[in-house]
Amino acid sequence: MAVPWAPARKYVAVSRIQLRASLVYPLDAAGRAISIVLFVVVFLNLWRATYQGAGRSVAGLGLRDVVWYLAVAEVVMLSQPRTAALLAQSVKDGSIAYQLARPYRFLLFHLAARLGDTLPLVMLTLAAGGAAAWLAVGAPPTWWGVALLAVELPMAWLLNFLMSTAIGLLAFSVEDTTAFEWIYNKLMLVVGGVLIPLDFFPGWLRGAATLLPFASATYTPAHLFVRPGGQGALELLAVQAAWIVVLGSALWALYRRGMRRLVVNGG
Amino acid sequence: MSWARGARFLLAVWRANLLSAMEYRVSFLAQVAGMFLNDAALFGFWTIYFQRFHEVRGWRLADVLLLFGTVAAGFGCATYLFGNVLRLATVIAEGELDYYLSLPRPALLHALASRSVPSGLGDLLFGFATLAAVGAATPGEAARFALGAALGAAVFVGFLVVVGSLSFWIGDATLLSGAVTQGMIMFSTYPFAVFDGWTRLLLFSLLPAAFVGAVPASLVRSFTWQSLGELGLAAALSLAAGTALFQRGLARYQSGSAMQARV
Repeated sequence: MAVPWAPARKYVAVSRIQLRASLVYPLDAAGRAISIVLFVVVFLNLWRATYQGAGRSVAGLGLRDVVWYLAVAEVVMLSQPRTAALLAQSVKDGSIAYQLARPYRFLLFHLAARLGDTLPLVMLTLAAGGAAAWLAVGAPPTWWGVALLAVELPMAWLLNFLMSTAIGLLAFSVEDTTAFEWIYNKLMLVVGGVLIPLDFFPGWLRGAATLLPFASATYTPAHLFVRPGGQGALELLAVQAAWIVVLGSALWALYRRGMRRLVVNGG
Repeated sequence: MSWARGARFLLAVWRANLLSAMEYRVSFLAQVAGMFLNDAALFGFWTIYFQRFHEVRGWRLADVLLLFGTVAAGFGCATYLFGNVLRLATVIAEGELDYYLSLPRPALLHALASRSVPSGLGDLLFGFATLAAVGAATPGEAARFALGAALGAAVFVGFLVVVGSLSFWIGDATLLSGAVTQGMIMFSTYPFAVFDGWTRLLLFSLLPAAFVGAVPASLVRSFTWQSLGELGLAAALSLAAGTALFQRGLARYQSGSAMQARV
């Protein structure tokens, strides 16, 4: 395939190599597919029991909406790039010195590599999660939402990449970034709306949570999947775009600062 | 190896793990405290849920808190004492078993116990904190809670050894093992009453999450000898299945001839 912009060739090659590497153990990759099916089964059981007691609709969402919402949010969660752990490890073991010396832009290399890593996972979890949700509650609520996912999944992935990479770069300043990764994951699960739609939050908490980047990465794609033309859709998209700009700039600044602090010993 | 020698060996490995962790005391304590807060944050989901819906099939916030605590304590106990159970699939796939096989000690026991996950202690502490939070802090309740968590941990370890051992056959079961771990945690921390039909059957058999969450938690408030017997049997079967599959898989093990240095 001809790449129109020559400098992009090496990054396409990096993506391709990572893509192939991630396909070496197909049975293992299927583990993620099993994961999302298990999640959908758990969600279906909980929310079916919930709706039996609460009526047909809660906060404008029915059982079908909630199950599809959670399936999409889980696809985003399971296919997020794990840049933080990789970067922290390379800072700890010193292999970052080799990465920095190579003829590519460090952040673009990781963007390309993680894209290659996660692309099969996105496709796999989307297919498995979609099939499980369809079997559980029927077709997606709207086809317009399905079409919008083609834009929203890459946006969500990019936001996750920016946040995860920023956490990884903290390894330049702190010894261990594990605790930051935990906090980030829990924020995604709870205030990002992976475990429960923000629509069910108390009013004040919902307002605050939708303004955070965690919600832009999970709640926004999942909510727009079930309610693409609903009230507030444009605001959600605007907040998401703003976070991409803000976090992208912050990541660049963090990287520059990290480079100034980096001391490589030995040869 | 006799039981007494096995116990002495385990104690020596755990002591070495603790001494090693104490070399990085701040990091150790940060991980313990971090996991405690992490569990508390995750429980935020249930707080929000019950604020909106109040109950689900008779389960209220306190019931789920006790369930969550039991699972946290069992999981914490398993990962603190047998931390490598989480990465057994990788240990097998990457040829790291060479080290354990070359020593005159049971390879599986040594491999599992040779790594301690400090955050497991945070889970364990969170588990006991929930016991106090739900007002179940009599010595009898605490003892039944500890017993349930320990047996739940045994079920969890045995089952993960079964899944991790699949690396002997499929090459690398790391992601599969991760998926199963997540599945066990997820199914075991949700109110058991929401599951029915074939899902309930699944949770007592193929994915024995009921023996990690619902059954151990039931010992605290509604103890029956039958439940304890069933849980004990599940733990014994799980450990036996894990050991048998691992031993069988060893015959297929191919060393990666990887150079490994252990200091």
